[in-house]
Amino acid sequence: MSGDALLAVTGLTAGYGPVEVLHGLDFTVGEGEIVVILGANGAGKTTTMRAVSGMIPRHGTVEFGGVDISGAKPDAIVRAGVSQVPQGRGTFTDLTVEDNLECGGYTVKGSIAEDLERWYGVFPRLAERRDQKAGSLSGGEQQMLAVARAMMSRPKLLLCDEPSLGLAPLITKELFKVLGNLRDEHGMSLLIVEQNAGMSLALADRAYVLETGSIVATGTGDELLADDTIKEAYLGVVN
Amino acid sequence: MSLFIERLVNGLADGSIYALLALALVVVFRSTGQLNFAQGEIGTLGAFVVSTLTLSGLPVWLSILLAMFVGFVISAGVERVVVRPIEHRNPGAVIVALIGVFLAVNQLVAMFWGVDARGLPNVFPDQADDFVTILGAPVRIARLGVIGVLIVVLLLLWLMFNKTKIGLAMRAVANNQESSNLVGIRVGTILVVGWGLAGAIGVLAAALLAPSAGLTGTLMLGPFLLASVAAVLGGLDSPVGAVVGGLIIGLTEAFMVGYVDFLGADMLFPVMLVILLVVLLLRPSGLFGSERVERV
Ligand SMILES: Nc1ncnc2c1ncn2[C@@H]1O[C@H](COP(=O)(O)OP(=O)(O)OP(=O)(O)O)[C@@H](O)[C@H]1O
Ligand SMILES: [Mg+2]
Repeated sequence: MSGDALLAVTGLTAGYGPVEVLHGLDFTVGEGEIVVILGANGAGKTTTMRAVSGMIPRHGTVEFGGVDISGAKPDAIVRAGVSQVPQGRGTFTDLTVEDNLECGGYTVKGSIAEDLERWYGVFPRLAERRDQKAGSLSGGEQQMLAVARAMMSRPKLLLCDEPSLGLAPLITKELFKVLGNLRDEHGMSLLIVEQNAGMSLALADRAYVLETGSIVATGTGDELLADDTIKEAYLGVVN
Repeated sequence: MSLFIERLVNGLADGSIYALLALALVVVFRSTGQLNFAQGEIGTLGAFVVSTLTLSGLPVWLSILLAMFVGFVISAGVERVVVRPIEHRNPGAVIVALIGVFLAVNQLVAMFWGVDARGLPNVFPDQADDFVTILGAPVRIARLGVIGVLIVVLLLLWLMFNKTKIGLAMRAVANNQESSNLVGIRVGTILVVGWGLAGAIGVLAAALLAPSAGLTGTLMLGPFLLASVAAVLGGLDSPVGAVVGGLIIGLTEAFMVGYVDFLGADMLFPVMLVILLVVLLLRPSGLFGSERVERV
């Protein structure tokens, strides 16, 4: 798999100051694949995302499209085609919805007018609110905006950090449908880190389980959904 | 009536200078969250550069532009060399470092240009008969020019912030640095440009003030304090607020000294502090400062 993977991560370690949080992760994301990393609070999910997008110092190799991006700066990684929807959405709350999207297209050379219309088409609610400050949107709308903003850079790989966080189940369902469509209709690859095992595993082609900075299990989404220990730990099912 | 017009124009002209300086403070505060204590001194240094350049025969307007460039470079350098490394390690220490820069620039000016006051030519015609008559009042062209400069600077800043990519990036960085990084904005570059811009505006304010105030090493001390009050009054993160705050102070100064006998120019600071206190009691974030609307 790792030979033709879009994203191939090997021996990834990262942390904050002297504290190592990730202890050598290996994982891959193939073209047009949705991969989920499942982990509890503090497992290192956000740290993994930040390490991949170059936001924190890291060791090990990160290859994207066959190119080593282990030492690249965040803006170079965005330009290479990796875009992140951060945990808590990270919208520019003082800026309008449209400004947020234009920021998303910051690295694009040339006109982004068509991209704007395209994502307004996918998210009509954003189009209605294009002149409104992002901070005044509902949580669900902000999450949609965060996804649309990330897509404005025309990425090949989308990183989503706990997209379901703080959303009502119905909104989460709607959002995951959108994420599935990104793969099915736009040919995107997605790496999603989640605690919400039920919905994310149902969507995932493959999944990994992350515990205190190490990957402890892997399989297809369905395999992990059927796994008893996973059920117990992440779905609250007691056998 | 004629006296009123004169005082109004004078108040607006002085207010324009405070407004420019307050704008510079706000541009830095929005992006870095710091009050740049060295802002006024960098302006003073710039005004001395203007003096040197005009003495060497360059036209005044060109000297001001070149000095603004010098101010840009110095201020950008302060961000890159002093503020950023310290902020990483101890954010609280930045303010002390900026006071250090204030003293250093102040000493540098004294070393290079001495302590004697000197004149600075006005970029606008400023002879005894260079005035126009508005509603029967003689109004000096140089004073109108200062107000005009503020309007032009505001227009350019508005265009930059709202119509250019770098302006969008500056607004993004002011709002959320982490997200700016994630969308591929080089945050460091944007901060340097923001500080540089503020440095250039500060030099412009000083170069406009010096011809009437006289050029000395302490040229910007009072104006800097007043501009700080203006910026807080208007709301530290609001460019509009900075301008309104600056004009309020200029007008208060002109009318207070002109109309209220028992309040001399010395009373300006106490009176401004009272106004500031009242405004902050009613609106803690200043007249135009954002009370952030944010859903978590
Ligand atoms: N900025 C930071 N400085 C120091 N330690 C940090 C920092 N951010 C996270 N950590 C630590 O790193 C570990 C992993 O945190 P991380 O945010 O990656 O977890 P997570 O899986 O995303 O958790 P959550 O589900 O709560 O978002 C935690 O022990 C946390 O305390
Ligand atoms: Mg997290």
